[in-house]
Amino acid sequence: MIQRLLPFFTLIALFIILAIASPNFLTSTNLSSVVRQTAVINIMALGMTLIIISGGIDLSVGSILALGGLIGATAMEKKWGIPAGIAVGLLIGTACGFANGLMITSLRINPFIVTLGTMGIFRGLALIFSNGLPVHDIPPSFSYLGEGTLLGVPFVLWILLFCAVLMHILLEHTRLGRYAFSIGSNPDAAFYAGVPVRFDTIAVYSIAGLLTGLAGMIEASRLMTGQPTGGQGYELQAIAAVVIGGGSLRGGEGSVLGTLVGAFIMGLLSNGSDLLGTNPYWQQVIIGAVIILAVSVDELRKRRMSS
Amino acid sequence: MLLQLKGIQKRFGGVVALRDGNLGVNAGEVHLLMGENGAGKSTLMKIVAGMQMADGGEMLWKGQPARFRNPSEAARNGIAMVHQESLLAPHLSVAENIFLGREERLPLGWVNRSKMVREAAKLIEEHRFPLQAHWRVEKLSPAGKQLVEICRAIQQGSSLLIFDEPTSSLSEAETKEVFRIVKALCARGIGVIYITHRLEELRVIGDRVTVLRDGQTVHSGPLGDLTTQQLIHHMVGREVTAIYQRDPLPPGEELLRVHNVTRAPALHDISFTLRSGEIVGMAGLVGAGRTELCRAIFGVDPIDSGQIWIEGKQVKVRSPREAVRAGVALIPEDRQKTGLATALPIAYNLTMASLPRVSRFGFLRLSTERSIAGEYTKKLRIKADSPKQRAGRLSGGNQQKVVIAKWLVRGARVFLFDEPTRGIDVGAKVEVFEVMDSLVRGGAAILMVSSEMSELLQVADRILVMRQGRLTGELPGHTTQEQIMRYAAFDMTTTEERAE
Repeated sequence: MIQRLLPFFTLIALFIILAIASPNFLTSTNLSSVVRQTAVINIMALGMTLIIISGGIDLSVGSILALGGLIGATAMEKKWGIPAGIAVGLLIGTACGFANGLMITSLRINPFIVTLGTMGIFRGLALIFSNGLPVHDIPPSFSYLGEGTLLGVPFVLWILLFCAVLMHILLEHTRLGRYAFSIGSNPDAAFYAGVPVRFDTIAVYSIAGLLTGLAGMIEASRLMTGQPTGGQGYELQAIAAVVIGGGSLRGGEGSVLGTLVGAFIMGLLSNGSDLLGTNPYWQQVIIGAVIILAVSVDELRKRRMSS
Repeated sequence: MLLQLKGIQKRFGGVVALRDGNLGVNAGEVHLLMGENGAGKSTLMKIVAGMQMADGGEMLWKGQPARFRNPSEAARNGIAMVHQESLLAPHLSVAENIFLGREERLPLGWVNRSKMVREAAKLIEEHRFPLQAHWRVEKLSPAGKQLVEICRAIQQGSSLLIFDEPTSSLSEAETKEVFRIVKALCARGIGVIYITHRLEELRVIGDRVTVLRDGQTVHSGPLGDLTTQQLIHHMVGREVTAIYQRDPLPPGEELLRVHNVTRAPALHDISFTLRSGEIVGMAGLVGAGRTELCRAIFGVDPIDSGQIWIEGKQVKVRSPREAVRAGVALIPEDRQKTGLATALPIAYNLTMASLPRVSRFGFLRLSTERSIAGEYTKKLRIKADSPKQRAGRLSGGNQQKVVIAKWLVRGARVFLFDEPTRGIDVGAKVEVFEVMDSLVRGGAAILMVSSEMSELLQVADRILVMRQGRLTGELPGHTTQEQIMRYAAFDMTTTEERAE
């Protein structure tokens, strides 16, 4: 139990250490910037949690984020209005996720390979669609999505909380979520029990795509740009957040709370190194080490439990 | 004498695989090794080939005490095994496989490929094997792969070859070819141990025979002296250790009708029915097609032709999902792999096939799930700390009960039990039988596949027997092991008269 809570303690310890070490840490400006920085990865990581629980993986979310944000921004540039633009972004994300799920289930190829392919395909489509150029002409009020404040906290925090609660309910209280656990834990047993494996797998990737599309719109709002080259490497950060939070790449394990904690640990590490003036190159070393450490502690716990 | 085994013992945990294994093999003879499934034949051979270590007893190899700690040590001493399932590297060539691990080297660690190919070709030529040294092994038939293993053994200079049911996956022509090769090897003074179940083969190939039963050598001697009847008698023994007895019920309505079901190459023209209140046993040797039949009825593998009726309605079962909907349940042979999500709680496993029942508009009713989990863990006496415990932490018998309970929750009526007692202890076996009995009392029908004939005799109302993908017999529940074995192991229609 103590080891299961280790990510929480790590997060709290990190928080306290930074509060003591840097006078600038506990300021509302800094904390909201941490939240805003982390929210995009965090929302993607919620979808990734669902995918990883179902025993899959999605390497294409960084590209989906770019494609969704770009096309959503383009819709706004074409004066479709902000709500329609956001809807387009979400729709594109969902469609990309749907395509991933469809290919994984109908071609029966490992999700790693399929999404490695679509990572390139979606990125390429974004570049083709935009001719490689970012989209700038966005209505100014769109910036509220990523940069606005509601009831004293960043608006994105509300979005994140809303998505997190929904994902938690999905995982723990719906049939789809339970099926995701079953498929991830033992796909053969799920298949033999009559679980609609194909349908659920497609649903899982589509939902993750929807959340990634949302993250893409938030990213576009924060930068006030639709960037065809945006989101590179985000997929790995999202996977890292899930894994630090106790998700297992073997499937069947993971939780929303764990993923949130995982994402914030990475957010604080990067914010902390900025504040303390650590060489940014070292940041990558530290985050990499944390991933390995977190997973090895978790493996140790599981091995002890099963013996 | 080339090889002599005296009083070999081997335990796996609490299970005794061998208690008194005796065997003597001469150079230049084909020595048959026979026995039921689980009699200890494979374990004995693995000990000879260095894949397992004996716990007790003595092994003499060419007159000297020997104890091989691994297969390569056995191979260096001249013992090679041709496996039922090929242990070759499929992406490499025939020549590379023959020399695998013992490649011809050039200076600097370079592999002398041309020399290997030359030598392999010479070997193949010499024995007139239908192979080419450069062929890739994955393209070969099962027979071809066995030839490669034989080449390997010859190239190693083996003086004892062990064949583990070599012809079980071969055609008639291929079988003849294997026989020719085996005889040619014997003529060169190589000793051969040959495990088989097929009577028609024994007489063609064998010189002497050793029969194992329950881990003990019960007979050893020249083959010519034995009648088929005596051989069967040695294999199954007389005593049946009854641990369970049940009163048969009058059969009710027909729940499952399988009509002319064929799926090449595993199933040919299978027809039978299951009625409510019946437990029907399915006997046969490993590889007879019993598991394949269960998979076909359950929609895992599509059938080529034939029809299936469930509860009087003809159904086309294209997936387990459709089978489950039609009221069929499969308790698979390999629990851990296909029956149970071991990392998930017991409660999740219990409701896995019945989630529509414990949810409304896609949302789970966790309180309903809790009460179902509580009810069924109690009903089947599943020994667990709580329904939240991970299913993988339960004992084998309790895991099996979880798998069965999953289908009770679902309310299935046609149950396919594939080796339901494999790997569970005697006490849990009886409990599983009790659950099966209460199922049929509740109006269900059960098809029970088991390789333990004594179990079938205790539990089943009728016993169907399969052999090489066909139903070869239907026997009453009070039949004998000898009867079952006749239909399971020997082709009753053609070779019986010739053999006797």
